[in-house]
Amino acid sequence: MKRSIVFPMMIALILCVTPLLIAASKVGEAAPDFTATASSGKTVKLSDNRGKYVVLEWHNNGCPYVGKQYNSGNMQRLQKTWTARGVAWFTVLSSAPGKQGYATASEENDYMAKMHATPTAALLDPTGEIGHLFDAKTSPQMVVINPQGIVIYDGAIDDKPTTDLNDVPGATNYVSLALEQAMAGKKVETPATRPYGCSVKYAN
Amino acid sequence: MRRRNAKPTLPTASGLGLVVLLCAATANATPAPIPHGTIEIVAQSESIEPGRDFNLALHFQLEKGWHIYWANPGDSGEPPRVDWKMPKGITAEEIEWPTPHRLGSSTIVDYGYEDAVTLIVPMRTESKLAAQQSAQIVGQVKVLVCREMCIPGKAQVSLTLSIKAQTAAPDTKTEGLFAAARKSLPQHAPQNWKLSVHDTESSFVLTGNIGQQSTRAIFFPLNESQIDNAALQDVTPTPAGFRLTLRKSQQLLKPITRLKGVLVLSDDRAYWIDVPVSKPGVAQNNSGMNLQLQHS
Repeated sequence: MKRSIVFPMMIALILCVTPLLIAASKVGEAAPDFTATASSGKTVKLSDNRGKYVVLEWHNNGCPYVGKQYNSGNMQRLQKTWTARGVAWFTVLSSAPGKQGYATASEENDYMAKMHATPTAALLDPTGEIGHLFDAKTSPQMVVINPQGIVIYDGAIDDKPTTDLNDVPGATNYVSLALEQAMAGKKVETPATRPYGCSVKYAN
Repeated sequence: MRRRNAKPTLPTASGLGLVVLLCAATANATPAPIPHGTIEIVAQSESIEPGRDFNLALHFQLEKGWHIYWANPGDSGEPPRVDWKMPKGITAEEIEWPTPHRLGSSTIVDYGYEDAVTLIVPMRTESKLAAQQSAQIVGQVKVLVCREMCIPGKAQVSLTLSIKAQTAAPDTKTEGLFAAARKSLPQHAPQNWKLSVHDTESSFVLTGNIGQQSTRAIFFPLNESQIDNAALQDVTPTPAGFRLTLRKSQQLLKPITRLKGVLVLSDDRAYWIDVPVSKPGVAQNNSGMNLQLQHS
């Protein structure tokens, strides 16, 4: 008898609680931890990077908004600048196999070599698990995490939501702004923006 | 000798040139290509009368399944943008956006138009506009066209309209297109409607007392980053209307004072609404029951 009550209650509880558990990261809250395989073959665990600032960059090499950042050399410049200042920069590929932006490890390594991209690592996320964990909507969506593991920025790469290469030079880069301000011990003025770009090509 | 041999082909070439020129000069210009579709500029009237407003429209025809975006594109994409070039004394107003549709998946929702859409652009003219022979109006359009993937496109569309000091006759060829486009525009919300928005911690609850029960309600926010686009919009019918729970956007970190956008009650009933938001705790909150059901 007891069991017949407990079981539906458990189901009800799971139904209620699950959305809360899988609810995406939010600015000001702890970043959800994950373990991923990088295109280099290494395993990357987010929480192993405590003590460092971490940048997550959602990537899709066929997306024109991503193309704007890479063809202008802007993304590579950001990666170089910030990794040199001790930031762990992870490019995340959440496209499902067969969809635009999906790349195998060697394809991604070839792409990075060709584009002279130097993130700390490119994380392969073909199941979209990391993408959903952070509720990534677009490429190039950007997330900045502080050394304590708190999300301090989530949103667009800059304030020019276009595919036009000419818009890169005059743009305010929200990632650099958040990192500069946080590193200077200041409050991040713009902690969240609409992450413009192409929708992340998840499996469903 | 060779020149002479070539001569018979000349009339054909100049004839072609003439045809091209004529096409460029008529009110209904030929469609320009954009990725997976075409764009065409059309006028509602055959000429322009100085001092009298007139309408142009941009008609997008897309291959099946491809879409472009509304003023607020939602989670991804961007709306078409037009840079106008035309004689002094003529100015373009904002695009009149037809009621958008929800496009996308369970986690990413965009607002836009699939297959075909006509965007009306009201134009103003000054009365001192010289009754010159004609005015060429050029629109440089940037548009993002998407299906599974997105392709940015650029097109230049133009038409030439004569300027006459007399009432402009409607262009019978474009009448149907403009009538259909007008029908696709949201209307102003009726004056006797009572709308309110209550700010709860996680949601905005839009309550409408509209004189009759409504089982369907979908809200399209004009401004970005106010509501969670992909979240299920939970509608609760009430005797005199509806109550609609809209989950807040994760990017919304400051309170908002107004919620503005399009409210769709049925396929042919869409309205522009602009409702002040009552502060948390001020208005009555009876939406708590629905909050758990919001996550998609």
